[in-house]
Amino acid sequence: MKEKSPLFKRLKYVKPIERHANDHSEVTYGDRDWENVYRRRWQHDKVVRSTHGVNCTGSCSWNIYVKDGIVTWEGQKLDYPTTGPDMPDFEPRGCPRGASFSWYIYSPLRVKYPYVRGVLLNMWREALKEHKNPLEAWKSIVENPEKAKRYKQARGKGGFVRAEWDEVLNLIATSLLYTVIKYGPDRNVGFSPIPAMSMISHAAGARFMSLMGGPILSFYDWYADLPPASPQIWGDQTDVPESSDWYNSGYIITWGSNVPMTRTPDAHFLAEVRYKGTKVVSISPDFAESTKLADDWMSVKQGTDGALAMAMGHVILKEFYVDRQVDYFINYVKQYTDFPFLVTLKKQENGQFIADRFLNANDIGRKTTNGEWKPALWNDKTNTFAIPNGTIGSRWEDKGKWNLHMVDEETNESIDPRLSLLGIEDEIVTIQIPYFSHEGNQILERAVPMKKVQTETGELYVTTVYDLVLANYGVDRGIGGNVAKTFDDAIPFTPAWQESITGVKRELVIKIAREFAQNAIDTKGRSMIIVGAGINHWFNSDTIYRAVLNLVLFVGAQGVNGGGWAHYVGQEKLRPVEGWQTIAMARDWQMPPKLQNGTSFYYFATDQWRYEDTPVGQLVSPLVKEARYQHYADYNVLAARLGWLPSYPTFEKNGIDLYNEAVASGAKTPEEIGKYIAQQLKEKKLRFAIEDPDNEKNFPRNLIVWRANLISSSGKGHEYFLKHLLGTTHGLMNDDKDSLRPEEIQWRDEAPEGKLDLLINLDFRMAGTALYSDIVLPAATWYEKHDLSSTDMHPFIHPFNPAIEVPWEARSDWDIFKSLAEAVSKLAEEIGMGPVKEVVATPILHDTPQELAQPLGKVKDWSKGECEPIPGKTMPQIHVVERDYTKIFEKMTALGPNVVKAPYGVKGMTWSVEEEYEKLKKTLGTVSGASVANGCPDISEAKKVAEAILTLSSTTNGRVAVKAWESLEKKTNLRLKDLAAEREEECFTFEQITAQPKTVITSPAFSGSEKGGRRYSPFTTNVERLIPWRTLTGRQSFYVDHELMQEFGETMATFKPILQHKPFKKNRPEIEGKEITLNYLTPHNKWSVHSMYFDSQPMLTLFRGGPTIWLNKDDAKEAGIQDNDWIECFNRNGVVVARAVVSHRIPRGMAFMHHAQDRHINVPGSKLTNNRGGTHNSPTRIHVKPTHMIGGYAQLSYGFNYYGPTGNQRDLNVIIRKLKEVDWLED
Amino acid sequence: MLDQFLWGFFPYIVLTIFIGGHIYRYNHDQFGWTTKSSEFLEKKSLRFGSVLFHWGILFVFVGHVMGILIPKSFYDAIGISEEIYHTMAIGFGIPAGVAAIIGLAILVQRRLTVKRIRLTSSKADFLVLFLLAIVMLTGLASTLLNVDSKGFDYRTTISPWFRSVLMFQADPSYMVDVPIWFKIHIVAALSIFIVWPFTRLVHVFSMPFRYLGRSYVVYRKRMPKNHQL
Repeated sequence: MKEKSPLFKRLKYVKPIERHANDHSEVTYGDRDWENVYRRRWQHDKVVRSTHGVNCTGSCSWNIYVKDGIVTWEGQKLDYPTTGPDMPDFEPRGCPRGASFSWYIYSPLRVKYPYVRGVLLNMWREALKEHKNPLEAWKSIVENPEKAKRYKQARGKGGFVRAEWDEVLNLIATSLLYTVIKYGPDRNVGFSPIPAMSMISHAAGARFMSLMGGPILSFYDWYADLPPASPQIWGDQTDVPESSDWYNSGYIITWGSNVPMTRTPDAHFLAEVRYKGTKVVSISPDFAESTKLADDWMSVKQGTDGALAMAMGHVILKEFYVDRQVDYFINYVKQYTDFPFLVTLKKQENGQFIADRFLNANDIGRKTTNGEWKPALWNDKTNTFAIPNGTIGSRWEDKGKWNLHMVDEETNESIDPRLSLLGIEDEIVTIQIPYFSHEGNQILERAVPMKKVQTETGELYVTTVYDLVLANYGVDRGIGGNVAKTFDDAIPFTPAWQESITGVKRELVIKIAREFAQNAIDTKGRSMIIVGAGINHWFNSDTIYRAVLNLVLFVGAQGVNGGGWAHYVGQEKLRPVEGWQTIAMARDWQMPPKLQNGTSFYYFATDQWRYEDTPVGQLVSPLVKEARYQHYADYNVLAARLGWLPSYPTFEKNGIDLYNEAVASGAKTPEEIGKYIAQQLKEKKLRFAIEDPDNEKNFPRNLIVWRANLISSSGKGHEYFLKHLLGTTHGLMNDDKDSLRPEEIQWRDEAPEGKLDLLINLDFRMAGTALYSDIVLPAATWYEKHDLSSTDMHPFIHPFNPAIEVPWEARSDWDIFKSLAEAVSKLAEEIGMGPVKEVVATPILHDTPQELAQPLGKVKDWSKGECEPIPGKTMPQIHVVERDYTKIFEKMTALGPNVVKAPYGVKGMTWSVEEEYEKLKKTLGTVSGASVANGCPDISEAKKVAEAILTLSSTTNGRVAVKAWESLEKKTNLRLKDLAAEREEECFTFEQITAQPKTVITSPAFSGSEKGGRRYSPFTTNVERLIPWRTLTGRQSFYVDHELMQEFGETMATFKPILQHKPFKKNRPEIEGKEITLNYLTPHNKWSVHSMYFDSQPMLTLFRGGPTIWLNKDDAKEAGIQDNDWIECFNRNGVVVARAVVSHRIPRGMAFMHHAQDRHINVPGSKLTNNRGGTHNSPTRIHVKPTHMIGGYAQLSYGFNYYGPTGNQRDLNVIIRKLKEVDWLED
Repeated sequence: MLDQFLWGFFPYIVLTIFIGGHIYRYNHDQFGWTTKSSEFLEKKSLRFGSVLFHWGILFVFVGHVMGILIPKSFYDAIGISEEIYHTMAIGFGIPAGVAAIIGLAILVQRRLTVKRIRLTSSKADFLVLFLLAIVMLTGLASTLLNVDSKGFDYRTTISPWFRSVLMFQADPSYMVDVPIWFKIHIVAALSIFIVWPFTRLVHVFSMPFRYLGRSYVVYRKRMPKNHQL
């Protein structure tokens, strides 16, 4: 029947109306089709569970709604397993940023096709016509200075043209193989951060790079999110409680952490726990969102948090350790910290002492293996020295003594460790303690009880760590020294002393410290400190952290649910870690991967090292005569040379050529080749690439960036990136004419520009990195692929599922790298490339027996003749790796046999996954045919990769968890596997976690327990099950005795002021009217997650729609700036232009530019550079800290994203002034 | 020739489009049938502009009915002289016209200067305002230039022409000697009728009169098609 037209239906004026109830009601028969519009508004064809792979630690589960083949909106999933009857649940999780994601899929920013810059593509097409061999064609471009300059200078200036996938892949493959052959595989570099946020996508590129022999770069340290204090104290990268554990707390301090802004989906727990009576204290310079939740606010001057923490520590030590003793605290620090361990004292010429290194088993005359690695303490029960179980020496002896039972490892006598030597001392002596201040560094003279120890080599003087710490904090114990009689004595480190530094009133400091400690007594340690980026992005953030973390250790809060530290800075817990790392690092085919620390790489690659001007000598301890080197880069060379840090590109020669040379000289086995390399190095016939980073032989040649926005978001020292790495137009106002000159590095007057041959970016949006890339590959979004995501904020693993087919010509990251692998293999076949062998150097690694390489923390430099170069001991380990580039594709898409053949495990534990490997052959199917992967499980698709990871990991497969615990049981002689036994039968599948989130299984890969629905809190298995920390003493460290830590005066927690930085040293642009100099900070943004969402229309509508800088109203007035004025903000590193947000919320002296405000949204020009203002990173650069480069020594040994210099950028000042003229440069 | 077209054919073209356009629009664009109210975006100047304009235009409309549709003979029959009629027409017409014009000016100014209104306006919105402005300015101009009624009497020229159009016996000869202002006014008004069905002006036909006679409680039948009384 034909529908009646609306008009016809309407024409019923004469029809009688049916009325009821005395005409009070009537019945109408009008058209109701209009209702369907409202009905259809929320109708959809399909709902799919996925999440957002964004660097926010949210890992929230979402419903993705599809209608007519279009993703229409997303909604929060509400089916998280409950946290139990007495606690709020996790649901709903999400934030406005994630809720608006679907905008990107169809936005104008979407990258839909492969793009190559026209100038490059034309050259390439022409070169291919002239040369038969693609490698020759590529050579004719990159080795031709004029041509190379032409396409490199075009970077960032548009000009992209669409290209065919095959053509682009062939171009990339050619450049990669050209580099492998000409310069070495380690000149191809990959960068992608935070695997946990989309681990298959990360693994795709990491696996490809590892098979190619290309290094992948770390990110946690480069982002300055890694807290080096964590490896220093715990030997653990970072381990934190999930957000629901806040609800177990009795007292929470949020310290430099803005929970509602950066942990939006979790913030409700912080709000809710207050209804239980928990007190919340905010420590933040500005009135932050988290401050609104607080009962007390300590508005501390930015960067001085260390002083505040030291003063709080002073109060706690004085009142809860010296004036009275609390059993809970005493028992805790005796068993779980290094407080009772003995430290030797070095006598100075004036009769005073300096703390040196731990007293060890050899010193007390024990005949034992690894004696230098077994620190000693005093046993009150026997009145003798003792070596307790659990030291790092016992860890690698494998005698089952590696546990925290307080017994002597040799005599088995029970130990009552003595905290202080006071009472049994031979003498009270004066100890010198370094003190750092802008007014000049000083030496503090303090008293400790000292005991003499007779050793074979002579007399040693010792005291305990506890005695040292009390002296360090200036606590008066009645034994003399320059200590504080009362809290009102303004000497380090009292509440009165900190007042002039931090601006916080002493009474408040004393009050909060007392409350914090008293709550720990009342609740058995449920005092928590949530620490955040506000105190973590400084040059000296590790000293701030150590001062803060000491507080939770003093009060026995660490390893207790509801207590301890909660570091939420970029940390994302990759739960199924073993399976993931096997696939991501291609360990199933070969070892070792090249895992480069990101900061060092970028420091040299972008030539920021050329612009240093503060000599290291100004920063070292007043107790040392002078710094080892004056230039930071020299320390990095030292670190590379001694095997402390990785260093790729490693040698100034191609690793393949080096292998051939070694073989030609008669070396055969890897050991002989290692010896050959060592000899060459010693005779200075071979140099490290890092000794000449500006030599074109040592440039990184290809950089593949995926899941990241390096240029514009994380690229600190933005203008240095543009100038030196990319060789394009930049806004750098600095020069290196009179900068510091290094000793260990060859200085080249002419700094290179445009080191990279290709910058290749995979992304779904045209952000900063894509705009500066030579090649942009269209990636799938989070609603278009299979992947996995996990976080430290909750214990679930979430799947990504495709809601729609990948649109346009985009492909998932897995598929892109798969096709790239195919292109490389095809090309290798074409050019007849046979298998090659390569010399690969790796640093001395944490969690391996190698961490016992360099005893006593003494620096022995073979290049100075202080020792012999021995691979894996005094220099990097040398490996030989075979690579067959024709087989990259076959290996990429199959799970190789080394899963079973090579050691499998994590954190120094190994176990067999043979059963699981066999199972995967059945569930995934196997590869058959003439392939190296014949018979191996097929992982050609992302979903299969996910299944393999879930099956192979202890957090997601109960059987593997039990095996892992059994492995640790053997090492520790403890009963542990009950932690996972009740879930042994469980094995997560992709379908299961798509149906509903599942809580992970307790595994020794992490330090907390989820057993029985318990909330995850770190180090609870250490405390409750007596598993040692992976440190020198096996305990939590107050004292770190490495020689370099002494050089920088950081053996113990202390206060260090922020660096004194001037915006300009010379060549300052002319002063134009009013201006103001402010400390430049780049905290997290409310309306974006780093650069993601910053350019999305839904988010831009929420706040001013473009770049902004916040400043105090009085500072603004002084500079004649009004709210919403355009301002320019600059220093020697570059200039950024933004609108001013004038607010009383910001204290005076600082400017906030929320990162990461990308440059493609609304940026006018600046007369300073005659270009558009830069990014939030234009006025920044990094400052590398030598203590972060220590290696080869117990917990201070290298691990990927575990240790290494941070890319910190906060200790900087900028000049801010009103923009004279807003020029959009559009004519 | 032009006269034949303008006063002979053109009105029928306009009428066809006007009527057909409304039927088409109503049947095919139910959700576009709206006033496009922008009160949500700006209230203050709308309050004055809209009220002045709408009441003004209502009185003007009534005036047009009285002057054009109702023949002079009717007034003569009920004893309203030329003089009284003219006084009434001027006395009510000019204030109403002025009010409508002031209202329109406010609305135009608002649409141009309030950013959020400007950005949410369609081309049709501007076109309607433009045509209305021409019609009203020429209308008022004609009235003012014709205050003393000595020269020209529209009741013997325009009115019979208009009625002749409605009776499908259009007689362009009535219009030949009409002053130019009136001509512009009429052509512009006819232009409005052309765009009318395709603009927000359709709201004129959506006065909620039914509401006045409605019961307090209304039940809507789910399946009106199957309804039988």
